[in-house]
Amino acid sequence: MDSSSSWALASVLAGGLATLAIFSFLIKENGFYRFFEHLFIGIAAGLGPMLIVRDFLWPTILEPMLGLTVVTYPDGTHPEPYQPLYLLYLIPMAFGCLYYFIYSQRYSWLAKLVIGFTLGASGALAIRGFFSEAIPQIAGSFKPLVVMVEGNISLMESFNNILFVATLLLVLNYFFFTFGKEGSLQGKMAPVGRPLLMVCFGAFFGSTVMARLALLVERVQFIVRDWVSAVGTFVGIG
Amino acid sequence: MVGRRLIYLLMILAVGLPIVFGVSQKPSRLVSAERMYDVVEQVRVQPGEVAMVWFDFGPNTIAENEPQAQVLLEHLFRNRIPVVLLSQYQQAERFLAKIPNDVAKRLEAEMPGQQWRYGEAWVNAGFRPGGAIFIQSMVNAADVSKFLGRDVNGMPIAQYHTFSSIGGVERVKLVGEITGLVGVFDNIIQFFQKNDYRPTIVHGCTSITIPEAYIFLDSGQLKGLLEGIAGAAWYSEVIKEHFPKSENKQLLVTNTALSAAHIVLILLIVLGNIAPLFKRRGLHHG
Repeated sequence: MDSSSSWALASVLAGGLATLAIFSFLIKENGFYRFFEHLFIGIAAGLGPMLIVRDFLWPTILEPMLGLTVVTYPDGTHPEPYQPLYLLYLIPMAFGCLYYFIYSQRYSWLAKLVIGFTLGASGALAIRGFFSEAIPQIAGSFKPLVVMVEGNISLMESFNNILFVATLLLVLNYFFFTFGKEGSLQGKMAPVGRPLLMVCFGAFFGSTVMARLALLVERVQFIVRDWVSAVGTFVGIG
Repeated sequence: MVGRRLIYLLMILAVGLPIVFGVSQKPSRLVSAERMYDVVEQVRVQPGEVAMVWFDFGPNTIAENEPQAQVLLEHLFRNRIPVVLLSQYQQAERFLAKIPNDVAKRLEAEMPGQQWRYGEAWVNAGFRPGGAIFIQSMVNAADVSKFLGRDVNGMPIAQYHTFSSIGGVERVKLVGEITGLVGVFDNIIQFFQKNDYRPTIVHGCTSITIPEAYIFLDSGQLKGLLEGIAGAAWYSEVIKEHFPKSENKQLLVTNTALSAAHIVLILLIVLGNIAPLFKRRGLHHG
């Protein structure tokens, strides 16, 4: 068995053990479960910073800036020369580092510059994103209440559209808190929005349960197919 | 206490027995998955044009997202549409490498003599940090190949013949987004567009996000949708109708196990609601 397959086998064995340990909580709280829970929290905490350095800071910023991405042909020439403009990355990096002045009472205003810049950029992105996302949806809610297909009324599609528009208006009306008095049509129609919302929440809850069951299916598949055969290989009967 | 454990045992048996015995049922028809098949089927690419598929999922949602990624890639590979794979999610790296290899191997076994090679059929641009800012920059780049720079192996993407001259983002003929994360999906919907360019976007979502995904499907922002495992299962059935040698047994077993768990859950909910009625009636008579 070569080192890569040994490593794969060890990964599957450890994965199965961790899965069973977490599932053991279903029987009762126990030390086996508690150990793997702490292990998971530790791995998750360590993995985040490591991935930021490995996947972003090093390949995107430091490697090109230090000229380590420049390919050298055997004859000593380079297809792309080093770009000194990469050094400009130092400016935003230095600006970003100002955030650490948040720990200084005297210079904490420097951190506010970074926070202000971040808030401004995020706000601008959010506004642009909102319009890109919401306007097609508002346009999509303008549906014909009578749908004609090849000269005939499509009852099903018409019913769907009427139901959609009615639900939209009734739910919007339910959240209308500024004016409208009890006894007015708007006031009378407001409670109708509530059961429609409950149907929506039911759909959300049902789909959440389905997703959780899908996770269970995947774990059981892993245990039955991968882990059991890995255990067989490990003890020499696979 | 015993009742709770009995419920857990029933659920594990409901899920486990179909998997152990390999029981599979034909999945239910899902119109949105069929729509997605038709959309992908209609994609035609000229040299340099590509599909871009985002694997924005990690181990926490592989149960649903991995089968979706497999069936979408299988369809694109069968139609010889070059695919740029990338992710906004760090934990997707393993799947960006594994899934296209698995699909290529399966297709090569099905069709001896044909090949799907890295650098021709697909390229793995890996995890790309920056989310919305990265997408917005890519959309405005003059050449997507040069903007992406290097693949996960450190090779310049422009050095692969198929991906050497993608040009502007308009040459991305299909965008696939496989994720259970609402935020990263929103990034694609909100920022993967320009004034004169609205891509064809298809989406594989987890069950939790189905109700939200329907909103985008209804407004036309999405052209096709795979709803959890069931969506992937029906998509694989549609592929099988067109390519009878396509292998989807494992996916159907998974879908059947999920259905079995649903049946048990529904029975338990019904039982849980009826039992107190009988108990109350018993108390009255007692």
